[in-house]
Amino acid sequence: MNKGTKWLQFRIISILIFFLLSFIIIVARDFQLQIIYKNKLEARARSQYLKKINLLPERGGIYDRNLNELAISIEVDSVYAHPAKVAKPKTLARTIAPVLLTGKMRIEDKLLSNSPFVWLKRQIDLAKGERERISGIKGVGLMKESKRFYPPPNLASNVIGFVGHDSTGLEGIELEYNRHLIGGDVKVYGERDALGREMLFGDLEKSHPIKGNDLILTIDKTIQYIAEKELRKVVRTTEAKAGMVIVMDPNTGEVLAMANLPTFDPNNFWDYRPQDWRNRSITDSYEPGSIFKVFLLAAALEEGIVGPNDIFYCENGKYKVADRVFHDVKKHGWLSVTNIIKYSSNIGAIKIGEKLGGEQYVRYIDSFGFGKSTGIDIIGEASGVVKRFERSKVSLATASFGHGVSTTAIQLVTAISAIANGGFLYKPYIAKSIISPDGMVVKEFNPTVVRRVVSEETAFMVKNILRGVTEEGGTGAKASLADIKIAGKTGTAQKPDLIYGGYAPGKYISSFLGFAPADSPRLAVLVLIDEPAGDFYGSTIAAPVFREIMKKSMAYLGLFPGRKLNVAKKMIPVYKEIKHTEIKKGRIPDFRDKSMRMVMRIANEIPVKLKIMGSGRTVSQRPLPGSEIGSDSVVEVRFQ
Amino acid sequence: MIDRRLFVHFDWFLFIIVALLATIGVVNIYSATIGTDSQIYQKQIYWLMIGISFMVLFLLMDYSNLEVIAYIIYCVIILLLIVVIAMGRSSLGAQRWLNLGFISIQPSEFSKISLIIALSKYFSNKWIPPQGLNVKELIIPVILFVIPFFLITKQPDLGTAMILGLIFFSMVLLIRIRTKILIVTSGLLVSIVPLTWYYLKDYQKARLMSFLKPAQDPLGSGYHLIQSKIAIGSGGIFGEGFLNGTQGRLLFLPEHHTDFIFSILAEEWGFIGSFCVTGLFLLLIIMGLNTAKHAKDRFGSLLAFGVTSMFFWHVVINIGMVTGMLPVVGAPLPFFSYGGSFLVTVIFGVGILLNVSMRRFILR
Repeated sequence: MNKGTKWLQFRIISILIFFLLSFIIIVARDFQLQIIYKNKLEARARSQYLKKINLLPERGGIYDRNLNELAISIEVDSVYAHPAKVAKPKTLARTIAPVLLTGKMRIEDKLLSNSPFVWLKRQIDLAKGERERISGIKGVGLMKESKRFYPPPNLASNVIGFVGHDSTGLEGIELEYNRHLIGGDVKVYGERDALGREMLFGDLEKSHPIKGNDLILTIDKTIQYIAEKELRKVVRTTEAKAGMVIVMDPNTGEVLAMANLPTFDPNNFWDYRPQDWRNRSITDSYEPGSIFKVFLLAAALEEGIVGPNDIFYCENGKYKVADRVFHDVKKHGWLSVTNIIKYSSNIGAIKIGEKLGGEQYVRYIDSFGFGKSTGIDIIGEASGVVKRFERSKVSLATASFGHGVSTTAIQLVTAISAIANGGFLYKPYIAKSIISPDGMVVKEFNPTVVRRVVSEETAFMVKNILRGVTEEGGTGAKASLADIKIAGKTGTAQKPDLIYGGYAPGKYISSFLGFAPADSPRLAVLVLIDEPAGDFYGSTIAAPVFREIMKKSMAYLGLFPGRKLNVAKKMIPVYKEIKHTEIKKGRIPDFRDKSMRMVMRIANEIPVKLKIMGSGRTVSQRPLPGSEIGSDSVVEVRFQ
Repeated sequence: MIDRRLFVHFDWFLFIIVALLATIGVVNIYSATIGTDSQIYQKQIYWLMIGISFMVLFLLMDYSNLEVIAYIIYCVIILLLIVVIAMGRSSLGAQRWLNLGFISIQPSEFSKISLIIALSKYFSNKWIPPQGLNVKELIIPVILFVIPFFLITKQPDLGTAMILGLIFFSMVLLIRIRTKILIVTSGLLVSIVPLTWYYLKDYQKARLMSFLKPAQDPLGSGYHLIQSKIAIGSGGIFGEGFLNGTQGRLLFLPEHHTDFIFSILAEEWGFIGSFCVTGLFLLLIIMGLNTAKHAKDRFGSLLAFGVTSMFFWHVVINIGMVTGMLPVVGAPLPFFSYGGSFLVTVIFGVGILLNVSMRRFILR
C-alpha cells in the first residue's frame, strides 16, 4: 500500500469521525425537541389546531300530562365568522348589523379581532332570504342551534323555570331536571387547518347535537290555565301582593296545577325582577291561620279526645290564656266540635288544643309533614317552622288556630290530601315520566306513600266536619257548589310584622284549603292570597276563587254530574256524528270512543302517524273521520 | 460480460438500507399528502421506478465507463442548465425546471452527479503532491465547479448551489490542498459573506433573518421554522401514529412533502422513528465511506466519496434546517422529499456506490 492510499484512508477516517459527530448533533437536537421540549411544543400545536366550540344541545321538551307542550326547543340560526377571511369588515358590519338585530360597532369589533372564529349573533330567527344572503358572504357562516321556547300563554312559568344562554336550566323544573333534559356533550372540539378553513366546521354544521330526554309533568295544562286565570282575577281585583293556587290529585300526590303570582314570561325572563321568578308555592312559608285547625281537629279525633258532637264553651269571644287574651271574630257560646270548625272559632280551637295537649299536637303536626320539606321534585323548597310549644300554654293556644307555625303552600295541600284520601300522606311530585328521544320511557315516577297519618275513620269524620264548613252559615259557604259536595276550611291569618315584632295591622293572608267531591275526592286545592287590600277574610276572598277553580276543573274532568259547562264544550270538541266506524280505503277511520289499544290496532293498518294525547278512551280526533289520508297524515287523538 | 462474481460481491447490506429508506420515504409521503393531493405519492413511486431502471442499467456495466464519458456528461448538464436559464419556466420565483413536455426535470439536481464524475476523473489522473494541490493545480477543478455553481446561483437555487460547493469542498479536502490555500479561501469566504447579503433576494434575506430570530415574525418568514419545530416536538417519543400527524395534515406546515418532510416523519413516528431513519442514513454514509476506502481504483474511490458526501450534506443540512439548527435553505432529504429529479439523482448515486462496491475485486 503506497503512501497516497494511506493518506486517503486517514482522511476517510477523519471524515468519518466528522460525519459521526454531525449525526450525534442531529440526534441530540431531535431528542431535545421531541422529548425535552415535547410538552411545550405539543401545547402550541394544540392551541393552533384545536378549537373548542360550544354547541347548544337540543334540550328535551317539557310537556303536561296530556303531552301538551310547556317548553320546547326550536331550531334557530347562529351566525359566525372567520374574521381573517372577511374581505371588507367595516362594510360587512354596516350591512349585516341590522339583519342580525345588533350594533354595528359590536359586529365590527368582532370582525376585526385576531380570533380565527367568532360568533356574530347567536340564536336568531332569520327569514329564508336573509339566511341565503348571509351564507353567501365569504367568511361568514350559519350554524343551526336550538333555543328554548315557552309557547304562550306561558303557563306554570314559576314551576318550569327557564334556561340560560348556554341552554342549561337556571330555575325550577329546568334546573331540577337539567341533567335529563340536556342533550349529550355540550362541548365539541373541532380541528381547523392553517387557513382556518371551514371544511372542518362543515361537518359540525350538518351534525346535530345530541337531543335530550323529554319530561312529562303531572301538571294538567287546562287545570293550570284555570287556576292561573282565577288567581289572576282575584289578585287584580283585591290588589293583593301575591297569590298562589295548588291543585293536587289527593289520591296520588300528583301536582295538577301550581299557579303563582307574580309571575313572568320565561321567554324574556331578564325583563322581570328575580323575585317574580320565584315559585312561592314551595319557597315561601306563611303562618297558615285557621286552615290549620283541620289538622288540630284530625289529631284530636284520632286521639279520641273529642268527638264531632262534643261541645265546648267559647267564652263569648274572649278567652284568657296565661297573660294573653284571645278573641273570636264572632261571639259564640257553646259550640260542638263540628261547629267550632264551621264557624272557625279560635277559642273553641284553643280549648280543643288544651284538651289534646302540646305534645300530642306537635306529634301530629310533624306527622302531617309540617316543619320539614315535602321532598317535591322542584328545587328550592322551604321547610317551614314548627316551634316547640309543648311547655308554653300561649304557644299551644296560638298554634291551635294556625299561628306561631309557618308552612308552605305545598305542605298544606299535601296534608289536606291525606284527609281527602283516607289518611295517607303522599309525597307530592310534579314529574310524571322521562321519555327518551326515540320514545322509550327512561323513568316513570309513581305515587309514594310517606306514612299513614290518621285512620280512615278519623279522615271520614274530618271530611264530614269540613263539609259543614261550606254549608249554609259556614265560613266557607261561598266555596259551595250546587252539584258537588265540597269539604274545606277558610283561613285568615295575620301577617307578622318583621320590623316591629308582633303582627302587622291590616296585613292578612286569606286562604281556602279543601277538596272535592267530598265523598270520593278527586282534587285537593289550596288558594292563598297574600295581603289583599280591603276585605281580607278567607271566607269572602279565597273561598269564591276555590269554588270557581273547582267548578271549572270538575267540568273539564267530566266529573260534573248533570249539565256540562261551557268550558267543557270548549275542551272536549263534539263533532258531528258519523255513522260508519269501519275503515274505508284512503279515509281516516273513526277513532272516537275507543281504547288506546284499539286505536293503535286500527292505525297500524293505515298509513297515518298517530299523535296521542292523554289516556283512557278517545274523546276527540283531528282530522275528522272520513277525511282523506294525505301523503304523511298525522292524526291527533285525544284520550280521556 | 456480467461476471458471476459481481453477484457474490453485490453489497446486499447497502442495498437493504437503501430499500428501507426508499420504502419509508414513500410511505411518509403518502401520509403527508394523502389529504391534499393523493397523486403525489404515486408520482414519487413512478420516479423511484425510473431511478431504479437507470440504476440497474448502470450496474450492468463497469463504472469505469463513466470515466470515459465524464466530460461529455458534464457538458450535457451544463448545456441543460443554460437552457433552463434561457427558457425554463418560472416556479416559486426561481427558474429550475426544464419542461420536456411529458415531464419536467431539474438539471441542477443532475449537476451534482455530473460534477462528482468530472472531479473524480480529473483527480484520478492527477499526481497529487504530498503537501497538497497548489493554486495552479486547482484552476481546472475550480472551473469545473464554478460553471454549474454560477448557473445554478443564477436560477437562483441557493440550496443546490451550496450543496455543490460542499461536495466540491469535501472532494478537494480529501484530495488534499495546501494548508495555506485552505486558510486563505476560508478567510475570503468569511469576508465575502457580508457582501453577499446585498446580492441575496428578499426571500433569502428573510429566511436568514428568521433563522436568527424566528419569533420576530411568527406568521411570516419565521413561520416554516416554528411550525416545523412544533410538528417535531408534538411527536414525542412514540409519535402520533401513521396518518395522524396534525401539523402536516392540517396544512400548518407548508412544503411538508418537500423540504420539511422530516417534520412529518418526526411528528407521526416520534423520536423512535426519527432516530431509526437518522441511523439508517448514518449506516448508508458509513457504507459509502467504506466503499470509497476499498474501491479498486482512485476513480471509484473518489466517485464513492463524492456521492457519500452528497448524501451526508443533504441529510445534515436538511435535518439541521427543519430542527432549527441551520437557516432555511432548499436542501431536500434523500429518499424522503418529493421531487423526481432529485430522487433519480439519489438512486443513481446509490447505483454508483453499489457499482464501485461490487467491482472492488475485479481488476481491469
